[in-house]
Amino acid sequence: MTAAFSMRDLVKKYPDFQLGPLNLVLEPGTVLGYIGPNGSGKTTTMHLLMGLIKADDGTAEICGYAQNPDEPVWKADIGYVGDEQVFYEYWSGEKNLEFLSQFYPTWSNPRAAGLAKRFDVPLKKPVRELSKGNRVKLALIGALAHRPRLLLLDEPTSGLDPVVRSEFLDVLFEYMESGETAIFYSTHILSDISRLADELAFIDNGRLKLRRAKDDLTDRWCKISFQLPGNNIRLPGIATQRHEGRDHQVVSFDREMTLRHLGVLGAENVEEHRMGIEEIAVQILKGGDNVADSQS
Amino acid sequence: MLLTLTDLSAEPLQSQIIRQIRASILAGELEAGASLPSIRALATEQRVSVITVQRAYESLEREGLIHSRRGKGFFVSELRNQEKKEMARQRLEENIGPHIMSALSEGMRIQDIRAVVDSVLKHNGAKQGVTK
Repeated sequence: MTAAFSMRDLVKKYPDFQLGPLNLVLEPGTVLGYIGPNGSGKTTTMHLLMGLIKADDGTAEICGYAQNPDEPVWKADIGYVGDEQVFYEYWSGEKNLEFLSQFYPTWSNPRAAGLAKRFDVPLKKPVRELSKGNRVKLALIGALAHRPRLLLLDEPTSGLDPVVRSEFLDVLFEYMESGETAIFYSTHILSDISRLADELAFIDNGRLKLRRAKDDLTDRWCKISFQLPGNNIRLPGIATQRHEGRDHQVVSFDREMTLRHLGVLGAENVEEHRMGIEEIAVQILKGGDNVADSQS
Repeated sequence: MLLTLTDLSAEPLQSQIIRQIRASILAGELEAGASLPSIRALATEQRVSVITVQRAYESLEREGLIHSRRGKGFFVSELRNQEKKEMARQRLEENIGPHIMSALSEGMRIQDIRAVVDSVLKHNGAKQGVTK
């Protein structure tokens, strides 16, 4: 199967910031969460994929097509929702969708109408009168009506209330059911994608730190407490470590390895505590390079 | 097949799926040959990622509880009642083992542990239909 996108050594340089080189491939049927702090390069990556900005080095392919500016067939495979929605503000939602539809050969009006009905978006109103929630919903309708093979979501749910958020996610789960589409979802709100995402990629300061199946992260990371005399205990697979007397507490990114060594050292009262994906993400992003490198 | 998944448990979603499907099979609610929902359908229905369901199914397959037929999906395996009982017994032993060990290390006597097991059975067993 052709990858939904494939970036090779992709680089974008600004005077005070460099993104990349990025090497990232997204397979169809997969949801990849793109996690990083503000200013880490998430939106720049999205803009490179859409061809809104030009890379200084490297290449990206969308569904097997090179990003050729003269032959924009590859753009037809992309759907996009950003954190700001750009519409013709004085036109109705309906007219905005109609305008968008001209650019996509595979656009389906019944599909757009079906989503609008389900989302309960008032299509007759001028867009400038729509609430934040309805604007995002309208953008998602515009992004899905042509059944794109690649859906790019750049912090789409920021500023939405929980009900709209959950409606939004419902539609994404259904969109993924066919197995032929892929989502690249950037966010720093882990709870939004903690169930949806198959894999997570972490980016910090323009560099990709780590990419892993979400279930691997939750399987392998854990907090372990144990008792062992001594201050200077060296254990493999450890992100952080602290102790009070003989009571130790560590965060491990390789549960089995750490536990095995604790067994060899003869640690007592070893207890494991699972970590949520949010806690793990914080550890990875603040954890320096040893965490990333030792897992790649 | 009704699954109840929660984010508020320390148990990962994948293990919750495995445990609940296993229980349905061992208790005979899901019969041999019954087809399971497709991986993608269950992921959509339960609002979990595809990989989570896929790995849960693979794990159940390794346990011998389900099997896949190419292009047709997953089915409950044919298991003799004796085998099901043995699987349930093994699991109980695995689960209860560490608890019994820690009870012993906290100074409980064997007959007291037995009494606790009896009391749990008396209070919770009746509701669940012990006869099964």
